[in-house]
Amino acid sequence: MTSRGSQSHGGQVRRKAHVCAGCAELADSGPSARYARRALLRAAVFDNPVFDGREQEFWSTQRPTAPSVVTGVLTEVTPRAIVVARPEGEQFVALSPSTVTWLGAKVSPSALRPGDPVIVRRRTHRLVPGEPGHDEAAAANAANAANAAVGAAAASIAERIWARIGRVAGEILQVRGAELLVDTGQHGREPERVVIAEASLRHVQVRFPRLTPGYLIDVIGTRRGDGRLLAVTPATAQPPYLAAHPPAPPPSGGYDGGPISGSAVWHEPGDEPADLLGLGYAALDPETEGEPRSGPGAAGDPHEPCARLPYLSLGSAVRVSNDCSERAAVLPVTSCSASARQFCDRCVKCGTSPRARIADLTMAAFVELGGNLEDGCFNATLTLAG
Amino acid sequence: MDASGVLAIAREVQIPLLAVLLIGGCAAKARRALGARSIDAGIGPTGMFPFRLQRPVAIATCLSEFGLGAGLLVTAGSLGAGGPALAVRAATVLLFGTAVAVLADLRSRRPDVGCGCFGEVSSTPVDWRTITRAALLGLAAVASIGVPPLRMPGSLTRSGVVLAVTVAELALLAVLSPEIGELMVRLGRADPCELRRVPVARTLDTLWASTAWRRYQRYLISTTPTDVWREGCWRFAVFPGILSSRRVEVVFAVYMAGRHAPVRAGVIDIDTSPPSRYSSLTVYRKSTILKNKINILSNGPG
Repeated sequence: MTSRGSQSHGGQVRRKAHVCAGCAELADSGPSARYARRALLRAAVFDNPVFDGREQEFWSTQRPTAPSVVTGVLTEVTPRAIVVARPEGEQFVALSPSTVTWLGAKVSPSALRPGDPVIVRRRTHRLVPGEPGHDEAAAANAANAANAAVGAAAASIAERIWARIGRVAGEILQVRGAELLVDTGQHGREPERVVIAEASLRHVQVRFPRLTPGYLIDVIGTRRGDGRLLAVTPATAQPPYLAAHPPAPPPSGGYDGGPISGSAVWHEPGDEPADLLGLGYAALDPETEGEPRSGPGAAGDPHEPCARLPYLSLGSAVRVSNDCSERAAVLPVTSCSASARQFCDRCVKCGTSPRARIADLTMAAFVELGGNLEDGCFNATLTLAG
Repeated sequence: MDASGVLAIAREVQIPLLAVLLIGGCAAKARRALGARSIDAGIGPTGMFPFRLQRPVAIATCLSEFGLGAGLLVTAGSLGAGGPALAVRAATVLLFGTAVAVLADLRSRRPDVGCGCFGEVSSTPVDWRTITRAALLGLAAVASIGVPPLRMPGSLTRSGVVLAVTVAELALLAVLSPEIGELMVRLGRADPCELRRVPVARTLDTLWASTAWRRYQRYLISTTPTDVWREGCWRFAVFPGILSSRRVEVVFAVYMAGRHAPVRAGVIDIDTSPPSRYSSLTVYRKSTILKNKINILSNGPG
């Protein structure tokens, strides 16, 4: 890989002033609790069971929960179970022979180390003596004082464990050997540093042949201690256009008010709580949620570069369905998604999705809906309220 | 005119038809490349070539289409009759034969990619229609081999047959072209309200002219909204107020379509606690909502 960094005269990295696909500053819109309160205020207006014949779930004030997801930091790893530290306390999760562990690749659970941030998809298992997995679950339960009350009835068994997983999607600003500087488009965030693992370089270059400034990249890997992402697998195929020149928005005639199909991707928590259930959305109302980042180079309507999505706000509720696993959940919009504005790609996890990132899910939401983080996406359908 | 005469005319029609399609394809690709400022942008099959070859392949594809289209026109008459015409038409057969193979391969290897045949309107993933169209055009090119130099139709009957054959073939190509659906969508209606950008000031004008506003205005302690947000066609505005000696928030929902848009209102106790952190749809019981009677059914939707 050649070094073709984008340098100014002073040697500083030149930041583009016209990243039209990024996200605006949302901090001046108020504290996050205000967005959460919007659900209550909305319910005050639409607390009508027959309103427009729509489903009441959109106007629910219940917090979405992720019963099958555990996020936290590993504190202990044994051959039969792991212990995950969470803000609410420690969670014991049993391992079984069918548990799939990912740490840059599929590995044995013994490769996990205390201190690794993990996200676990678990299944609740009723304890029946003699069944496979009973011993592991029983051992985990016996060690888990918090579960003592229910220990005789059920236990958590890890289905999949992802450790130190990370993802970077955005515009390449600079290339220096195998290290890239990537602008993720999120306001206030420093550019991410990505190191492409030597063994994965060819694999990544097959899907991202233009590792040059100005083009987009989306890779998945493991987070190193210094904060860099060690990229091991491409999350999608590289869009052929430059980040500053996305394709023209499709015509509005393609929008019929019904469910919207496309690709659901995931993002790292950043400043969000690790267990947050929600999604980043590409079409936040620019009148009330701030203008998308734009400038002299931004062409046309900055609404959205790829899919025509209805305007929503932080706190809006949408139903996201995983078309590959037929799981669905009603989730709040919790952030602006720069990735969904920049990438005009499809997901081919199960069939071929239309070309649009309709939801940029939090990791917990992505896993709860049945997605495998190392896949990068699943085919999804978005249903809106109203 | 007998069947052999119609068949001869059908073979003649293929030459200008193929020429127009080839030149049009090149022009659409060039337009897309200019728009994206990248010569290989959006041209699907080039993605299957090694990166260093993608740009040359994209340029070669466009140039060969233009060259063959122009060549078909130039050699259609007596000017290039014989060897040159045969060479150009045989090359056209080769081009479409290659296209069939490449599209079939593209469909299996990159099911998410469009053929890029006509630039940005060819973004629909390759399916059997696209491949069949390329095969049909290949057959048309085969049929054009050996056609004598073209001449203007000499009679009304002949002109009618030429027109009928052309229309029938274009209709068949339209059925086999996913680009037609994309073009129809692009020529479609104006933005629906969910996609329309609406200034907050216009929403407030609608609100201030509504029955709901007049009914609740006396409870408000400020006419400046404390929060405004949008969900599809609805925009919400929240105002502080006092009702029955209790501090409340009055929330209005304005439907953003037309001058006499529906407006709904609700009132909520301001002491209702928001969630401790932003994890969103949390913790509220419906009993905290003091009043929710003002659904303006007279002008509400439906």
